[in-house]
Amino acid sequence: MTPQEKVKINKLPTGVPGLDDILGGGLPEYSFNILAGSPGCGKTTLAHQFVFANATPEHPAIYFTVLGEPALKMLRYQQQYSFFDLSKLNNCVRFINLSQVLVERGLKGILEEITREVEATTPGIVVVDSFRTVVRHADQKEMEMQVFVQNLGLLLTSWQATTFLIGEYAESEVRDNPVFTVADGLFWLYQAVERNSVVRKMQILKLRGQGSVPGMHTFRITDSGLQAFSRTLGLSEHISRNVRSTKVLSTGVPELDAMMGGGIPEGDSLLIAGSSGTGKSLLATHFIDAGLRQGEPGIIAVFEERPEEYVERATSFGLDLRTPVERGNLQVIYLRPLDLSVDETMQAIFDAIKTTGAKRLVIDSLAGFEMALSPGFRADFRESLYRMIYSLTALGITILSTVEMEESFTELLFSTYSISFLTDDILRLRYVEIEGQLRKIVMVVKKRGGNHSKDIREYEITSRGFVLGQRLENYDGLITGIPPRAGTK
Amino acid sequence: MVSGVPDSLSVPNLRVAEKLRRPLSTLAGVSGFRALVSRALTLAKAQRPELSIIQVKPDGSLDISAVTPVPTTNGAGDRKAGESEAVEVLVTELLWLLVALIGEPFVVILLRDEWPDFPVPETESRSESVQ
Repeated sequence: MTPQEKVKINKLPTGVPGLDDILGGGLPEYSFNILAGSPGCGKTTLAHQFVFANATPEHPAIYFTVLGEPALKMLRYQQQYSFFDLSKLNNCVRFINLSQVLVERGLKGILEEITREVEATTPGIVVVDSFRTVVRHADQKEMEMQVFVQNLGLLLTSWQATTFLIGEYAESEVRDNPVFTVADGLFWLYQAVERNSVVRKMQILKLRGQGSVPGMHTFRITDSGLQAFSRTLGLSEHISRNVRSTKVLSTGVPELDAMMGGGIPEGDSLLIAGSSGTGKSLLATHFIDAGLRQGEPGIIAVFEERPEEYVERATSFGLDLRTPVERGNLQVIYLRPLDLSVDETMQAIFDAIKTTGAKRLVIDSLAGFEMALSPGFRADFRESLYRMIYSLTALGITILSTVEMEESFTELLFSTYSISFLTDDILRLRYVEIEGQLRKIVMVVKKRGGNHSKDIREYEITSRGFVLGQRLENYDGLITGIPPRAGTK
Repeated sequence: MVSGVPDSLSVPNLRVAEKLRRPLSTLAGVSGFRALVSRALTLAKAQRPELSIIQVKPDGSLDISAVTPVPTTNGAGDRKAGESEAVEVLVTELLWLLVALIGEPFVVILLRDEWPDFPVPETESRSESVQ
């Protein structure tokens, strides 16, 4: 059989931003799906988004409500979401309550009623909410239940309806529940409370006929309904690090470029580590400014101060970020709301990259980034950061991240996060006490793609920005922070 | 919605009530519809205490056979007019109740499904309408 002869499975948009990418392009047409999860995790809202995204007068949706949330109450709340299109009610989307049918006539009655409505309306979409209540009704009659599910699946597929059965299931039921065996797709929504914050995640446990992105994906419920954030942002298939650019980018400080063997290799992840006031953000600003001067758009993701303050501070060093912001070449995105997931942050950054065509990204700072995350996501911070940096650098984006270090005068730490493995290049800034003055030094600790200077050089922060000085030749043990004059030991 | 009145459909308001029963039972379920009608009846009784003799049956239909006839000039009493008035108050309360629960646009859509020529109402809240 040639590829041309294979049946083509159309993919329907779910109406949930980000979910189509997770599913591998959309929901397979005519599929029979289970949408499971605990109460309040967003099952009904997701189903409504799908219904309103796809229902038309020619291919309407029938939304069967059974015992569970009263239909009027459901409609009262669901219509608050922006996707809920009142003009589609009744001509494209019909709501039918089957509670009485279930109570009086059981599963047989439910199947008869659904059959009658489906044959009369020929819907493109059918939702049964809550299917769990139907199943509970037949808990003691397993064979009857199995026959019912089988017949329902046959009916709805034969009548070319894409179906969602919504239910509150426990994860332990997945193994031997006949409903899950028949289903083509199995969507599981989770929500967990951790240290006062709620984390929502979804998993596609099963999806016949197409490859979905495995693993847990975070999602958020806003006034627009659910928004899902793929673990890979749908980038995995495009990512290839085989072809690396040979171009090097300027840091914006020519002498520092020289220390780095010409600059930062394009597509690298550079970490600038240093304690408070050492000029990490200033170097990040130089880096973005240098790109803008070359016509390369940029993104600055800030977590610890407002974009306006960031732009204003750059001005005080003679670096104009305001004009490129106004022209759309630079986006300073402020990501401070608590309970963020890394995937949401990544989505915001990725959206900004798509909008601006940015080639340079600053994350200022990793500590602020971590604090903005929900506690539940902080445990996975390193792993998440790895995914994010890997995905973005593979796209050719050069990333400069800053990390604040607690200054020690007995040892030199490179990072509190043990994330040096995430970075291609590391610059370390630190204070040293010399002749009764608190002075600053910079060193290139690591450069993955080539040679770099081994010098430890002094620098100053002036009204002209980051000004590199000379190598401090007359002192030993500079990295301890309290260097004696050379030869005085 | 009305039982116990053989010629009920000859009364315009009763026809309205009967037509509403089908879509609302489909939407909210029979028990949901019965709960709505019971609530609407309670609200209607506040305006017309004599409506307390109306009974809501398990399927949401009404037994209005005991409604008092409206007195006529010749003193005979007009039974249909009494029924019609009672149902009108009840239907009005039912519609306001639906508006409060699911919003006017949705209610208008439901009404237009049954009466395609139903006019688009001017925006008016209940508090404004009773002033």
